[in-house]
Amino acid sequence: MSVTMERPVAAQPEPPHRVGPVERLTSTDHKNVGILYCVTAFGFFLVGGALAGLMRIELAEPARQVVSTQAYNTMFTIHGTVMIFLFVAPFGIGLANYLIPLHIGAPDMAFPRLNLTSYWFFAGAGLLILLSGVASTGGGAAMGWYAYTPLSEMRYSPGVGVDLWILGIVLVAISNVMGGVNILATVFLMRAPGMTMWRLPIFTWNMVVTAILGLVAFPPAVAAFALLLIDRRLGGHAFDPLGGGDPALYQHLFWFLGHPEVYILILPFFGIITEVIPVFSMKPLFGYLGLVLATIAIGALSMGVWAHHMFTTGVVDNPFFSAMSLLIAVPTGVKFFAWTGTMWRGKIHFTVPMLFALAFLLNFLIGGVTGVMLASAPIDFHMNDSYFVVAHFHYTIMGGSVFAIFAGIYFWFPKMTGAMLRERLGRVVAVLLFVGFNLTFWPQFVLGLRGFPRRYVSYPADIGFDTPNLVSTVGYAVMFAGVVVFLADVAVSLRRRVPAGDDPWGGNSLEWVTTSPPPEHNFDALPQIRSERPAFDLRHPELAP
Amino acid sequence: MRWAVRAGRRAGPAALALVGTACSGSFGMPRGATEQGADIFRLWQVFVVTAIAVAAVVYGLIFWSVIRYRRRRSDEPGALGSQFRGDHRLELVYMGIPILIVIGLFAASAAVEVRVDRVSSDPAVVVNVEAYQWGWRFTYPGQGVTIVSPPSGEFVAGPQMVLPVGQTTRIVLTANDVIHAFWVPDFLYKHDAIPGRTFAFDLTPTKTGTFYGECAEFCGLNHAYMTFSVRVVQPAEFAMWLAQMRAGQAAA
Repeated sequence: MSVTMERPVAAQPEPPHRVGPVERLTSTDHKNVGILYCVTAFGFFLVGGALAGLMRIELAEPARQVVSTQAYNTMFTIHGTVMIFLFVAPFGIGLANYLIPLHIGAPDMAFPRLNLTSYWFFAGAGLLILLSGVASTGGGAAMGWYAYTPLSEMRYSPGVGVDLWILGIVLVAISNVMGGVNILATVFLMRAPGMTMWRLPIFTWNMVVTAILGLVAFPPAVAAFALLLIDRRLGGHAFDPLGGGDPALYQHLFWFLGHPEVYILILPFFGIITEVIPVFSMKPLFGYLGLVLATIAIGALSMGVWAHHMFTTGVVDNPFFSAMSLLIAVPTGVKFFAWTGTMWRGKIHFTVPMLFALAFLLNFLIGGVTGVMLASAPIDFHMNDSYFVVAHFHYTIMGGSVFAIFAGIYFWFPKMTGAMLRERLGRVVAVLLFVGFNLTFWPQFVLGLRGFPRRYVSYPADIGFDTPNLVSTVGYAVMFAGVVVFLADVAVSLRRRVPAGDDPWGGNSLEWVTTSPPPEHNFDALPQIRSERPAFDLRHPELAP
Repeated sequence: MRWAVRAGRRAGPAALALVGTACSGSFGMPRGATEQGADIFRLWQVFVVTAIAVAAVVYGLIFWSVIRYRRRRSDEPGALGSQFRGDHRLELVYMGIPILIVIGLFAASAAVEVRVDRVSSDPAVVVNVEAYQWGWRFTYPGQGVTIVSPPSGEFVAGPQMVLPVGQTTRIVLTANDVIHAFWVPDFLYKHDAIPGRTFAFDLTPTKTGTFYGECAEFCGLNHAYMTFSVRVVQPAEFAMWLAQMRAGQAAA
């Protein structure tokens, strides 16, 4: 059977629609909201990156040099908060906003105004969190991004910065819940005819699981932050041992958010990689069903691993959390084999998105195997709160998620703007970021093993911490250069446009059958959807199932 | 099946030899100057060798796929790869093997955890450790000996705890303001000190020498300067030191 539908064509090759600032900030079109999210989130990446640079300069040599201890403590607090809550997670939501309606053949998200509202909550949260670092009497928020009690209680952190920070995180949580509801409603209710759940692009599948994680994990965290605020401002004692409260309870509530959160920080980006690799391997995905089940398994297991952040507290001696944390390596392994299986017997094109996807594989594997080490409680007795942990989670979040973000930017920028990014500059960005990243974070494994604790503004000379720290700072400079070249690439590509056409890559999912950028309602006509890659089936009717 | 058994018989000793060589390496980790630390060190070796083996296989498959199946100049521009969509038997294999690895790692880890957490009913020495912003107080209960951090906001020689080698020391850990953590990297062990709770754990030093210690849980402004040291000496020397300290502190 081979029913083919007319390939939809744009009515006329219209010049790219110029979006004015008012329309940009107020339009509820999902593509606009998606771009707003991504651009704002990327702005926060630059802020967080600048803070990282100051910290790396401070740590390049043993003695204290450029910033005060208080300022340093504020910087790592804001760096962590910004990167996690204001860059990586919202970038995933931004891409989801842009892509999900296109992936499922819908004209928009289910709740467009809720969508824009969730963006503005996120932007407001960003403002509060930045303010919490700079514009507060009695010192900025300097208690670390997990704000452990009693340190974050009024007695030890009297600055109003902590309160601003708490309010900012609560806004982030509300924004996430709104976004999650919207994603689930859209995917469950607005799929085009023929787009069954088992034909969803994997990115969209992963966003479904991410949204569920957010809906489960954020509310308890809001409760924890509300109690903390009551402790601070209204004389409560929920987490204050002097009033009979329990600091360990805060840790449980915080990590009940905190650990699913790290999967909120990776699942969307697993999704990007899973979209990119088949396209440039000229093959269908290897083991679609297994991959989806692996994502669901990761989501489920991630709900039961939180206390592996608390092995050294002495309040969780039960090996349950160790077992769950080790088990989560299994579905992650399934993903690695699915990606490799997709490349196996393909015709691999080394485009810039594919280079970033390969770099992702190389980096994330190291993040993964070191995560297995940290899942062992006795090994964690040494590693916890050391630079080994810092290196581990940067290998997952930066080497993993952020490299996937760059893969996604190079992959979908042509769809979003109608213009290609420069291939040659992109290769330079990929090489600089890959080399710089590994140069920055590999030495931090060494530092952690040797006993360098995280959150130290300074360290004594001659106990083995000097050289790795210096190398790490040099690595940062290389990454910095990579980001500068990337920004130049974006500027050049937007100014001197190389038209992308509807489908520059030979894509698989539905966004590639409409114009770049897509019209307001996304599609003039939809092809028949008979597999998880309708755009491919349209190009190759002879191979369609 | 018979070929597999034969291959296994030959590969077994070879693999063991390889693992043995690898296991003599420390992979950047201090070797653990206590009995408990040495146990953790051996566990680390198991984990790191497994990690290297897994990474070698996965990297090998990735590089092989990427290099072998790259698009070549001779290919037509739109040439497709094979259009197969998976292989259920293969998928079961690559799910099953990691499950077995994980079960093995869990068993090793849980066994070591039980040994490291075990506390002796009759420790030779007891030291009460009290952490506070930003220093330490070491007390030898019943001996009238107390050692306290000098006030500081930079790196100075912190307070020094003295312990006898080869004997079990009980550390009783508390904090009186915020959360801290007692970490001696050479012992491969740290434990959080949480206000309102008291924790006890045992250390059995196996090497003499002076070991650097630090606070590992962020505790506010001068967290980075909350250092201390542990000097491990022969039991006779320890008894002498204790007597001297007792005399000195009684006089003061």
